[in-house]
Amino acid sequence: MASSYPPPLEGSVEVKEGFLCPLCLKDLQSFYQLQDHYEEEHSGEERHVRGQIKSLVQKAKKAKDKLLKRDGEERNETSYESFYYGGVDPYMWEPQELGATRSHVDFFKKHRAERIDHYVVEVNKRIIRLEKLTSFDRTNMDAGKIRALEKSVVSWVNDSDVPFCPDCGGKFNIRNRRHHCRLCGSIMCRKCMEFVTLPLAYKLTSGTREALSAPAGSPGQKESSGSGVAVVPSLSRRGSISSLSSVSSVLEERDDDRIRCCHHCMDTLLKRQEKLEEKDHVPDIVKLYEKLRLCMDKVNEKAPEYIRMAESLNAGETIYNLDTAGGLRMEVQKYYELIDALSKRIMTLGVKEEPQPHPKTLQLQRMVRYSATLFVQEKLLGLMSLPTKDKYEELKEKRREEQERRLQQERQAALENQKRRSELDRTRPAPNTNGEAPASARSPRMTKAVGWLPSSDALHTRQLDDPLLQQIDNIQSFLRQARAAGRADEATVLEENLRQLQDEYDLQQTSRAIELSKKLAEEESLQQEQLERLEWKERAHGVWRDTEGYGEEQTTAEEEVRKKEKEEEEEEKEEDEEDKRYTLARLSTSPPRATTIKSFPPLGESPPTTSEQPPSLNPFDEEDSTPVEEDDSNPFAEDIQREQKAATANGKKEYNPFEEEEEGVVDEGAETTRESPAGRNPFEEDADGDARNPFNEGTAGTPPGASKNPFDDDEDDASVACEIIEEELLRQQIDNIRAYIFDAKQNGRADEVELLSENLRELQRTLQEQKRKAR
Amino acid sequence: MNVTLAVKQYVSKMIESSGPGMKVLLMDKETTSIVSVVYTQSEILQKEVYLFERIDSQNRDSMKHLKAICFLRPTKENVEHLIQELRRPKYSVYFIYFSNVISKSEVKALAEADEQEVVAEMQEFYGDFIAVNPHVFSLNLTGVARGRSWEPSLLTRTTQGLTSVLLALKKCPMIRYQLSSDMAKRLAESVKQIITKEYELFDFRKTEVPPLLLILDRSDDAITPLLNQWTYQAMVHELLGLNNNRIDLSRVPGISKDLREVVLSAENDEFYANNLYLNFGEIGTNIKNLMEDFQKKKPKGQQKLESITDMKAFVENYPQFKKMSGTVSKHVTVVGELSRLVSDRCLMEVSEVEQELACQNDHSNAQQMLRRLLQHPRVVDLDAVRLVMLYALRYEKHSNSILPSLMDDLQRKGVPERHRKMVQSMVEYGGKRVRGTDLITPTDAVAITKQFFKGLKGVENVYTQHQPLLHDTLDQLIKGRLKDSQFPYLGPSSLRDRPQDIIVFVIGGATYEEALTVYNLNRTMPGVRIVLGGTTIHNTTSFMEEVRSTTSGGQGGHSQGMGRPPNRR
Repeated sequence: MASSYPPPLEGSVEVKEGFLCPLCLKDLQSFYQLQDHYEEEHSGEERHVRGQIKSLVQKAKKAKDKLLKRDGEERNETSYESFYYGGVDPYMWEPQELGATRSHVDFFKKHRAERIDHYVVEVNKRIIRLEKLTSFDRTNMDAGKIRALEKSVVSWVNDSDVPFCPDCGGKFNIRNRRHHCRLCGSIMCRKCMEFVTLPLAYKLTSGTREALSAPAGSPGQKESSGSGVAVVPSLSRRGSISSLSSVSSVLEERDDDRIRCCHHCMDTLLKRQEKLEEKDHVPDIVKLYEKLRLCMDKVNEKAPEYIRMAESLNAGETIYNLDTAGGLRMEVQKYYELIDALSKRIMTLGVKEEPQPHPKTLQLQRMVRYSATLFVQEKLLGLMSLPTKDKYEELKEKRREEQERRLQQERQAALENQKRRSELDRTRPAPNTNGEAPASARSPRMTKAVGWLPSSDALHTRQLDDPLLQQIDNIQSFLRQARAAGRADEATVLEENLRQLQDEYDLQQTSRAIELSKKLAEEESLQQEQLERLEWKERAHGVWRDTEGYGEEQTTAEEEVRKKEKEEEEEEKEEDEEDKRYTLARLSTSPPRATTIKSFPPLGESPPTTSEQPPSLNPFDEEDSTPVEEDDSNPFAEDIQREQKAATANGKKEYNPFEEEEEGVVDEGAETTRESPAGRNPFEEDADGDARNPFNEGTAGTPPGASKNPFDDDEDDASVACEIIEEELLRQQIDNIRAYIFDAKQNGRADEVELLSENLRELQRTLQEQKRKAR
Repeated sequence: MNVTLAVKQYVSKMIESSGPGMKVLLMDKETTSIVSVVYTQSEILQKEVYLFERIDSQNRDSMKHLKAICFLRPTKENVEHLIQELRRPKYSVYFIYFSNVISKSEVKALAEADEQEVVAEMQEFYGDFIAVNPHVFSLNLTGVARGRSWEPSLLTRTTQGLTSVLLALKKCPMIRYQLSSDMAKRLAESVKQIITKEYELFDFRKTEVPPLLLILDRSDDAITPLLNQWTYQAMVHELLGLNNNRIDLSRVPGISKDLREVVLSAENDEFYANNLYLNFGEIGTNIKNLMEDFQKKKPKGQQKLESITDMKAFVENYPQFKKMSGTVSKHVTVVGELSRLVSDRCLMEVSEVEQELACQNDHSNAQQMLRRLLQHPRVVDLDAVRLVMLYALRYEKHSNSILPSLMDDLQRKGVPERHRKMVQSMVEYGGKRVRGTDLITPTDAVAITKQFFKGLKGVENVYTQHQPLLHDTLDQLIKGRLKDSQFPYLGPSSLRDRPQDIIVFVIGGATYEEALTVYNLNRTMPGVRIVLGGTTIHNTTSFMEEVRSTTSGGQGGHSQGMGRPPNRR
């Protein structure tokens, strides 16, 4: 089972003895310590050195493995955790700065400025001329006079200079007459001529919006976006009837309400007009979108705050107020609703109008909606629920007890240490025992289970001793005042302070105790860790061997033996743990008062009554509180069983060992795809009906040694909890489910929606029953 | 040295500097692939970019409430399109970024078109390549050679792509190239020319050891792209085709609608990121674990939510469940399809013979195995031809070569003549005559001993014995043993220290097997960072296309190659 890519360092470099730090050559006891030492001492130093130490660690590990005859196990690590020979996974390459760039903006702007100057002058000239052309009353003037006036504005090009229309190339004659642009004086034929209507002219010259609302209206935005030619018919249609009938007329017709101009000038004017329109026109979508973004920003601001509160409350801390958190939750949820509503409005903007908006506009609206949905999904689903009032009380209680327990442990450890130290110092009278003596004298009083209520005198006297505690006390009272005064911002600052102080205090307490008991624990934990590690490796190795082997057959018997071994090892481990607990207990008995043991709850078995609720609240909590060993062993046992099964299955097949498994998977996959259109939850089928489902097997096959399995407790608790469902809790759940339904609908997963709504109905029914009972 | 990150940073910088508000991303065909490989739609949506448009698309509405971010290659057509766009702007403001060097005269032309003053930014952001993996890039160019020399337009494009990689990574390298390839020399000179011309762009902070650009030619190792692969990414590309990290699964029987095309991106698919370089067996196990994980997380039972605890567990697990279900169904489908193809086409057997041909030196054994397999009815044309090609390359000059009779076998098997002719083309492309280094039989004493020891140790895994030539080349390069006579430096100076940052570029396309090799080298060599690039990333099919267009000498135009074997279903 050697690796297919043999590590190049293997064999080429001799294995060093001991665990030497490559930088200060300090000999450390194990590579864990070396690693720690390195991280502490040399973390600031160059990166490639880090690579070196990692390779060293690796080599050392290998050497150890060799000694323990555990050759060839590194391979499985490559597939399960990234490890180093010294190189770096490209995915881990350090962040880099932005690549090279070069800006052309200055050059671009310089050239644009030249052009723009020219352009602006041209436009302005036209606007000024237009103003002159419209400054007199056209309707009541005869054509000749108008013509003369028009001629005075700009010098007209001589007719004789232009024999052909410059735009279409048509020859001018008696039928195809020359027309002059009133804005620039150039000549074109009738077909190429355009008209500026008076309203448009007024609008351009005055810049006011009155012209826009005039019924004769300027060409709309849509038309203007097309080519200038497209404007012509609509303009002439809007002109007087005479202009319509005069298409074939050779005679000069009257320009009562319009000004002739050339294609080029018209284009310029239209662009100008477009710009004017844009300046003060904000489309609906932009307004809505700005609101939407505002809501999102608010959520981004509030949600973390709420999550912080909820976390703290769920942990039973007293920094935050349950009601304020509830209020905040409501607020955040309001914003979500607002986001939902706004994005929905954006999506439906103009859908009912005729004609339909451009497909791209619709697409834009859909995308905005989609991204809002994504936003809601991502953030809302991360919004945890708050504990109910009663539950919160319980949580608080629990936390208090926990703290108590911890303090006690610390104290015991301290005592133990002190004893040891005093033993050490027995030969000479230690002056420093002075400070400790009163503490130890007080300690029995402290450790009484009753003695720790916040109101108790014992606590108070002690608080005064500790400046930190005093400070905490002060801040708490400030906080109360601030809350009473309703100054939320101050309260937040205070809360923050309070939390820091408490952390600090805890830290102080813990660190003191930890320091003392460290040596003892370190040795033990190191052993434990290594044992675990080796075991884990063996396990993983076993797994790997099964799956890796291309043509290899793994006999079931072998697996069986392996499994037995492992179980034994687990038992050993449990014993180990037992031992540890025992030593701890012994430690605790060492102080004169035996009563302390009572208040020191055994770690794993029969959790204290108060801690029953939280596990039912969050199943994941359980895992955290379980000893690590247990955590490991469960999935592992499953693994073994599954692998065993796979191995036997593979044994039958001759050639392609993984084909068999694969096909199983494929079948399941295929089933899914077939199932889903039928409106059923994907993967539902196979979980229920699949006899081969390894998970079921796994749970069934969990070793009986798992009587300590936290899940047992959990279920019992659950049944208890089930009867005392509170309304508020139910409401929260309903809230959540609604969010999911919304989400599922968004993604068009009809099957899930069904399932969820089913749940929702169920919940609502329960809620009503609850209400009835309450009455 | 992370090419994916380089492009991502460019794109996010573009978007950020345009400020808040709704945005549209205007791209051309190539930049669309460049961006889509590194970013998913939802990621970009979060940055307020709601529309993705092609600059050459006629069907664009005027939307003055949008800001336009243009990311374009500086081609003539694009500049022309942009000039038209600026004359009649459809969006309120334009932020223009070119993916490569643009000439002053073109900037001037654009400036003159911008009468409305809508352009707010104009920069060069050198993301002119497809970042496949953090250490792999491609230019998506095929048929770069005509005979033994460059297709002129593609030389320009390749030079642009390669220099943009250097600029994006901020490297001003020394250049080495493969002497036996004229194309490598031409490209090296062309890159050097750009570096000299744009010296102020390449003026980066000097590192202790200068970076190195090594330019190789595919024809030096024609064997690697012909082998079947067994790591996830390589396998997917070989059997299903991976195009800009997308797989087309529409031919898979009974595929559901939303899995017609799936994206495999290590950036936001954790399972893929963890399994990309694992072999098929390991993936099989991992996908099983994934399924089990998923089943644990999924809500159990439809109406079985009896107690409030069940309900709670369900509600808490739901988001994870939702996230997972996409990944699970995707990978289960892909792996399922792979394993179907493996068994349908007897790829295990085929691969074994391929490896035997590529790595062992036992002619009689190899020819027996090969003959037997050619008789096998389930071995498809593509695989049969590739086996014969391998044989032809491997035992080209062998005294007892049975190539003629193998060709007869192919004919009997009913392999079309067009494909049979490819065997000759392949020898022409990558035969001994062409190769600079010796691909198969090692000549120097060290290599012989090495192989001897390797033989002694026995073969660890029959299907993955082959190490691409690139591994040895890079290994020697890192150890400072790469011969100057075969891989000379361009210019007078040469590197004295052990190289640290290496960019390898393979003209004619790299492969995912080589990507894996480079990945492993990166992981095992302290202080060395290698980035692999190619004109494209080949699988066997695309490689044979490349060879066909190269050897057909300028005719090109074979739009349809062997394609997928017809009996895939």
